[in-house]
Amino acid sequence: MQKQSERSVVEQPLVYKLIENIEKVVVGKGKEIELSLIALLSGGHVLLEDVPGVGKTMMVRAIARSIGGEFKRIQFTPDLLPSDVTGVSVFSQKTMEFHFRPGPVMANIVLADEINRTSPKTQAALLEALEEGSVTTDGETRIIQQPFLVMATQNPIEYGGTYPLPEAQLDRFLFKFRIGYPTKSEELEVLNRVEKQHPIETLFPVIELDELLEMKKQVKTIFVNENVKQYIINIVSETRHHPAVFLGASPRASIALMKAGQAYAFMQDRDYVIPDDIKYLAPYILQHRLILNSESKLSNASTGRVIEEVLELVGIPTGKERAQ
Amino acid sequence: MAQLKKQHTRSITHFFIYSMAFLILWEWLRPIPQVTNTAEIHVFVLFALLSAVLIYFRISYWIIVPVLLIASLYGVHTIFYEGSFFSLEGVLETLRLFTGEVKYNLGLIYAREFAYLTDPFRTFLLLLLLALICYLLYFWIFHTKRIFFFLFTTIIYITVLDTFTPVDASVAIVRIVVIGFFMITLLQMLKVQDEERVISGKADTFLSPTWMYTLIVMITIAIIVGIVAPKPDPQWSDPVPTIRSVVLGEDSRSGSTTKKIGYGENDEKLGGGFAQDDELVFQAEVVEPVYWRGESKNHYTGQGWVSGQFYEETNTIFEEEVEISFFEELVEVEDTIASVKMEEDVGFSHFFYPGQFKMANINTLTHQVAGEEGAVGNLTFSSDAISGRIQAHGSTQNNVTLTSYDIVYEQPTFPIETLRNISEADPEEIQMRYLQLPEELPERVTELAKEIVEGQDTRYDQVVAVEQYFSENDFIYQTTDVPVPEEGQDYVDQFLFETQLGYCDNYSTSMAVLLRTLDIPTRWVKGFTAGEWVEEIDENRYLYEVRNGNAHSWVEVYFPGVGWVPFEPTQGFDNYTEFEEEETVVDVDTAENETAEPASDPLDREDPFAPEDEEASGNLDEETASGSNKGDYLLYEWLTLKNIIISIVVAVLVVVFYQKQHYLQNKYFLVYYRVLGKDEKFVSAYQRLLWILKNEGLERAEGETLREYAKRIDKQLNSNSMGKLTKTYERVYYGDRETKGEWQTLQKEWEAIVKKMGA
Repeated sequence: MQKQSERSVVEQPLVYKLIENIEKVVVGKGKEIELSLIALLSGGHVLLEDVPGVGKTMMVRAIARSIGGEFKRIQFTPDLLPSDVTGVSVFSQKTMEFHFRPGPVMANIVLADEINRTSPKTQAALLEALEEGSVTTDGETRIIQQPFLVMATQNPIEYGGTYPLPEAQLDRFLFKFRIGYPTKSEELEVLNRVEKQHPIETLFPVIELDELLEMKKQVKTIFVNENVKQYIINIVSETRHHPAVFLGASPRASIALMKAGQAYAFMQDRDYVIPDDIKYLAPYILQHRLILNSESKLSNASTGRVIEEVLELVGIPTGKERAQ
Repeated sequence: MAQLKKQHTRSITHFFIYSMAFLILWEWLRPIPQVTNTAEIHVFVLFALLSAVLIYFRISYWIIVPVLLIASLYGVHTIFYEGSFFSLEGVLETLRLFTGEVKYNLGLIYAREFAYLTDPFRTFLLLLLLALICYLLYFWIFHTKRIFFFLFTTIIYITVLDTFTPVDASVAIVRIVVIGFFMITLLQMLKVQDEERVISGKADTFLSPTWMYTLIVMITIAIIVGIVAPKPDPQWSDPVPTIRSVVLGEDSRSGSTTKKIGYGENDEKLGGGFAQDDELVFQAEVVEPVYWRGESKNHYTGQGWVSGQFYEETNTIFEEEVEISFFEELVEVEDTIASVKMEEDVGFSHFFYPGQFKMANINTLTHQVAGEEGAVGNLTFSSDAISGRIQAHGSTQNNVTLTSYDIVYEQPTFPIETLRNISEADPEEIQMRYLQLPEELPERVTELAKEIVEGQDTRYDQVVAVEQYFSENDFIYQTTDVPVPEEGQDYVDQFLFETQLGYCDNYSTSMAVLLRTLDIPTRWVKGFTAGEWVEEIDENRYLYEVRNGNAHSWVEVYFPGVGWVPFEPTQGFDNYTEFEEEETVVDVDTAENETAEPASDPLDREDPFAPEDEEASGNLDEETASGSNKGDYLLYEWLTLKNIIISIVVAVLVVVFYQKQHYLQNKYFLVYYRVLGKDEKFVSAYQRLLWILKNEGLERAEGETLREYAKRIDKQLNSNSMGKLTKTYERVYYGDRETKGEWQTLQKEWEAIVKKMGA
């Protein structure tokens, strides 16, 4: 396992610029930034599970600012209604027509804070937006413009009055990871930076949205070898057969692995996916998609361990070792 | 890492191996007293032990050097000097003597007179050498972790000693093999553990029970199989005589040439097998098949025969009868003529004759002195009335070689009735000389003799009973794998009660000794059998060829009034002596028989005279294999020189191939890809590299990606070649790209890794 926050070698110039820019605000979270950008490039969404105050919002805002995209934030509360998320049609006396007033989800970067505090109905509205890239109000489906990245957060310590996302729903998120506390030196750096003025105020976009869209297109052209696809499938199917697992990863997980792999390869300025990409991403993609059986839950097994085991078990395609 | 290693070098395993190496060193010292005249070998062993212990505990040089010097002084003192060492005077005296010794010897060394170095100084040097060897062993085991060379030289040393000296290494070799197996395997275990430590950082040096059990079981199985397994006869002729003749310049036919001098001195230690030799010795013209007598011996030592020399000048050999009286008044004798023509290169300076020598013909006698034809007038002769040996001497120091001679001899016919009826006592002189027995002769030999002759009243019947005893019981005639008696073991006792196999020397000596225990005077005779019939020359004259293989020994028994009567105890040999009686107790090939059908004696087995082959045969016992299945000799049979040589060669080859298999493979692929490598081959070259690495123990884990693997390999090999290769391979394999000129740039990297793998 790589150390927390250790960033991979990013060689794609635009992505590199982007990350550098974001790191002006976010200290020591290179890997998390990287993962967020992978989600952004591959059209996935991120579930952050962390305690308040570790810089989730700041990271999301920095990403939004760097790409020059629109940033919206939804604070989920128990009384939040689906229309508060998706937007609502309002009757205009002036035009005598219903006007659609887009909800906060209709933005480029959306921070869905404490998603587990709201009712399942509202959650469902958000999840539809995640999955379909569109919202449906008043029987009308509206496409959300690209790029579109939702970063939902969950507070893992408070359970009172929460509606935890059903495990099946978690499948909708590409990644789930924690941000975690900074180290002491990093925290000192944070203090130094915000001492006079918060750096987010002076953060400017480094790429255009069009450029980002162009990159997203390029990501889709990244070549995935049959053997690598097979490797993905092997990993996913292995999670289904692992003795500690009650529910394994779905085919959606396979797709997610491949797409994230493409984005990751793109970031490294490589136009093909190698098993290393998949292996690196697998924990973040699969962890929240597995449900352990009660037995292994009792025996303190974790999904992280299971995935580690699976990755050790599944053979890497290398061609024949014996070229006879 | 260095720190880590230091901690581990002193494990119990190391100690174990070091102790075993010391045992092997001991094997070097063990045979020294036997091959040199070094005594008190325990001093050397103890000194080596002391050095080994000091070196093992890594005592500083400031202490080790003085301690070892004092110890070697003490050693020299124990061996050579008198008095106590543990007193001031003793030490000073020793020092004084030794300093003088050193001065003297240093002078010799400067003068390059190495041969004159004194014994104390040599001892001192040997002790120093031992200390150095101990340090070398320490170095081999603790630093290089290689001991095979030492073991290999030990085996060579022991086999050479065993082959060419009287040292019997048949047990030593087993000890060495067992200890050697242990050492090599344990060292290998240490090496593997070291490697594991480097790779994973997990394993620690420990005495793995799995290794130990496997090792012990394997060694036990190997030894049991080695001892129990049937051994076929050797397929090659014995190479040792050839080696000896080439290396040592000894004549492999020493059986005939060494007899000029010392014909009588070589029977002191009988026993051991010998190789057959068909070299022609002489051609003889006789009227009937006869035994050719060289001489007899009368003193049995328990190991062999010796005899004093009682020569008298006998220069009237051409005119008068020689004063040898084998036969007394009661025997009928008939003067007969025999001619002997020696082969070239066969050098005897004494006569071989049938019956009793009477005189030689001056006109036909030829001889050589130092390879040149000599004049008969220069010759002088002497005869030994006791042994019957008649010796020619030249006028100079050079040895005379008789090349041909005609002799007149007395052919006796013994009347059996007379022999039976003899009642006189033996003359005192005869009793004194011919009843001698070693004091250590086991009692059971005497008892056996009594048992054999029970119910036989006359001396003649008793003698015949003993003579027949061997063929009536299960004695086996065999020339190979006849053991030499061990230290303190009686030659006759061993033959009669333990081995019951042997050749003429065993039979004749046993018969002579058995009869002596019954107070019957006997002597032991050596010479040649009749040989092979070639052709009839004219009426009643037959040509016989006598070869080295016809060398033989038999027994003469004294009968008062009759004299010395030859008997033939050896199975399958005929006694040509004529016994005149209605009763044929001993088989008789009468003259009539021979004239009618003078065929070569079918039973006349070749039976070389062991003493003549002594130098070769005494040591051949282990080397000449045989198909016998007698339990006692399995070890001997197993440990033949050939088996050892073959085993060593095979073992070395197996070890080389096993150890170098990867090396050879890697070398092959290195050359293969150097010659045939091209872009299209990049994928196969990379995959071959993975395969090679896997063979070398650097296997890629199942879930390890190529990149992770390459990183690990590069870290281990301290290179970056694998990373470069892997990057290209990824592009080709996962990226479906074509290879373009990669091979040129990457060939070096590829070769670098393979070379680091040992190619």
